[in-house]
Amino acid sequence: MPELTYLQAISEGLREEMRCDERVFVMGEDVGEFGGAFKVTDGMLQEFGERRVMDTPLAESAIIGAAVGAAVVGLRPVCEMQFADFVACGFDQLVNVAGKMHYRQGLAVPLTVRLPSGGGFSGGPFHSQNPEAWFMHAPGLKVLAPSTAEDAKGLLIAAIRDPNPVCFFEHKHLYRRIKGEVPAGAYETPMTARVARPGTDLVVIAYGAMVWTALEATEDLDGASIEVLDLRSLVPLDTAAILDSVARCSKVVVVDEANATCAAGAQVAAFIAQHAFEHLDGPVMRVGTPDVPIAFSPPLERALLPQVSDIAEVCRELLAY
Amino acid sequence: MSSLPTDASAVIVDVVMPQMGVSVAEGLLVAWHKQVGDWVLADETICEISTDKIDTEVPAPASGRVVELLVEQEQTVPVGSVLARIATDAVAGDPHPDEQGPVISRVTPSGPPPAPQRPSPVVRRIAEREGIDLARVTGTGRGGRVRKQDVLAYLQDRERADGPAPGESAAPPAPLHIESPYRDEPLGQPLSRMRRTIAEHMVRSLHTAAHCTSIMEVDMSAVEAARAGRGLTGLAFVARATIDALQAHPELNATLEDGVLTRHADANLGIAVSLGEEGLIVPVIANAQELSVQGLAERIRELAVRARAGELRPDEVSGGTFTITNPGSFGTLASTPIINQPQVAILDLEAVVKRAVVVTDDQGDSIAIRPMTNLCLSWDHRALDGALAAQFLATLRMRLQDWRSA
Repeated sequence: MPELTYLQAISEGLREEMRCDERVFVMGEDVGEFGGAFKVTDGMLQEFGERRVMDTPLAESAIIGAAVGAAVVGLRPVCEMQFADFVACGFDQLVNVAGKMHYRQGLAVPLTVRLPSGGGFSGGPFHSQNPEAWFMHAPGLKVLAPSTAEDAKGLLIAAIRDPNPVCFFEHKHLYRRIKGEVPAGAYETPMTARVARPGTDLVVIAYGAMVWTALEATEDLDGASIEVLDLRSLVPLDTAAILDSVARCSKVVVVDEANATCAAGAQVAAFIAQHAFEHLDGPVMRVGTPDVPIAFSPPLERALLPQVSDIAEVCRELLAY
Repeated sequence: MSSLPTDASAVIVDVVMPQMGVSVAEGLLVAWHKQVGDWVLADETICEISTDKIDTEVPAPASGRVVELLVEQEQTVPVGSVLARIATDAVAGDPHPDEQGPVISRVTPSGPPPAPQRPSPVVRRIAEREGIDLARVTGTGRGGRVRKQDVLAYLQDRERADGPAPGESAAPPAPLHIESPYRDEPLGQPLSRMRRTIAEHMVRSLHTAAHCTSIMEVDMSAVEAARAGRGLTGLAFVARATIDALQAHPELNATLEDGVLTRHADANLGIAVSLGEEGLIVPVIANAQELSVQGLAERIRELAVRARAGELRPDEVSGGTFTITNPGSFGTLASTPIINQPQVAILDLEAVVKRAVVVTDDQGDSIAIRPMTNLCLSWDHRALDGALAAQFLATLRMRLQDWRSA
């Protein structure tokens, strides 16, 4: 199997789906001639033409709004938000129009919104956020957040084929840092969790870039057997996988790169408290970013985002509990 | 106005009517924002006041607990009057959480709480399931707390000391479930000792006996009528009728072991008692033929209570010659029970359900509503044949349908 970066895998997934399904088209800021801010759509204008690779004005509301209309009449739009942070301008179209269309009108909205998210590269407060939970809270939307190249390609294809609006969070910090073997051709990755590393003493539940931070933090914690569960999909949330891990490990650390309050991990922790209480051998611990904007300054940013040492420390404390 | 008792060492700060311009001599207290006992932060509004010139809010001069309000709402007092008193330390009650201010931390909350000397849910559950006294388990967690691994290690040691169950090799350790859970595999648990014993008995019986099940429908009107007046369960009546039928057909009050069939003069009647999830036990009423319905009912009740309390003696669960099981109390209509070896038959009592049945009497056929049940008899075709099983059921049915208090 060829080894691709996370970014190349997303690009390949999109390209393959455009090749095999004429209804798939791309809209976004600078996605055409420029090939996208991160070059995900590089070369696509040349291959698919300007009717299927459309540069748009700097108006996320217009991008998503137009895409909802296209999706309702049977096309499969893939919108690129240049940065996930900018989706706030298109919030109403996504949350109130796309998310509620099926409930109100019985119409499918096979829309994919690609959201380059996450920090770790001194992007500052408008280019580093992890707004997954905004959309988890909005009924009618699916929310995906892959951590590996293979899953990024498979989940993007699954998102495009899904009849529901899907928010696809691709972590910018993984774009060129993460490489992996990626199957050729079009395939769908299930919207379920993945055991990134099996273990028995404690489970760290994470998604996106934090999966890698968690793996590194728990690689060798005084010989403890530590499981890392990669959620991959936040909506739907794979509660069976969570229960399974908690039942085996009995100690849980939930990690978010997002601001901690009401983050995806808060939902996971609440679910565990209610449904896996009888399996717990200690408090459900959370590691997350404090409720402040992400700083530009590299040392300040490091102080905010969960680091390997933070996760390791919490795991050690909980193991000793 | 109201006040709180305060410790003598408390530091009290007065809230006074402020001077709001040289010409103002007094002010009206419009409304209190805090009551006695409330926490107030420095500069937080404690009350609203009004003078002839302006309305304004009075900020608290210090953080603390409001211990006394000295002025009523709508009361006018001179500038400089004490309005309220705030205790800034050494006050009764918990500190106000706001006092600590927001804490920015990536860890929420910062570190696990101090370990209570209380077992966690998983530890308690394992201990209850396995009957472990947690006081005997050495805790290796924080402050000697018993962790999951401690109770599991204790259990492993105990099982090693006990040795494997008779006729059983020790259960292999449960395989580590590591596959991705989206296959939805449930978590395995080794069978309890009781379940293993039940499993071994049941499989052995199925392998040993030639099981057949015959089912007969019975009108329970007479039993229901007799039962209603005496507060007894249907089971006691069926037990009594079964004993009568066994005396009429002694071939079923028998045991078959190693090719030897033994008929028993005494009816030692086994009654299956469910212990819930844990399993099932069959206490035996020895010489049951000597007991009346009332006596049987009392004996069944007493054995069931003692079975559930785990207080049965070994001789009370052995020597049975015939067994009755009663799953019908949960609403089943037909079952094929497994014979309790080395006995040759087992009777299963099913739910009593009102049905429309055809009744024939002097007036001819008519449809009536009757409490009906099915008696399901599993019998060993090695020891007897179907005709005999049917005759036994017919006798039993007749006894129940024509019930007259003995």
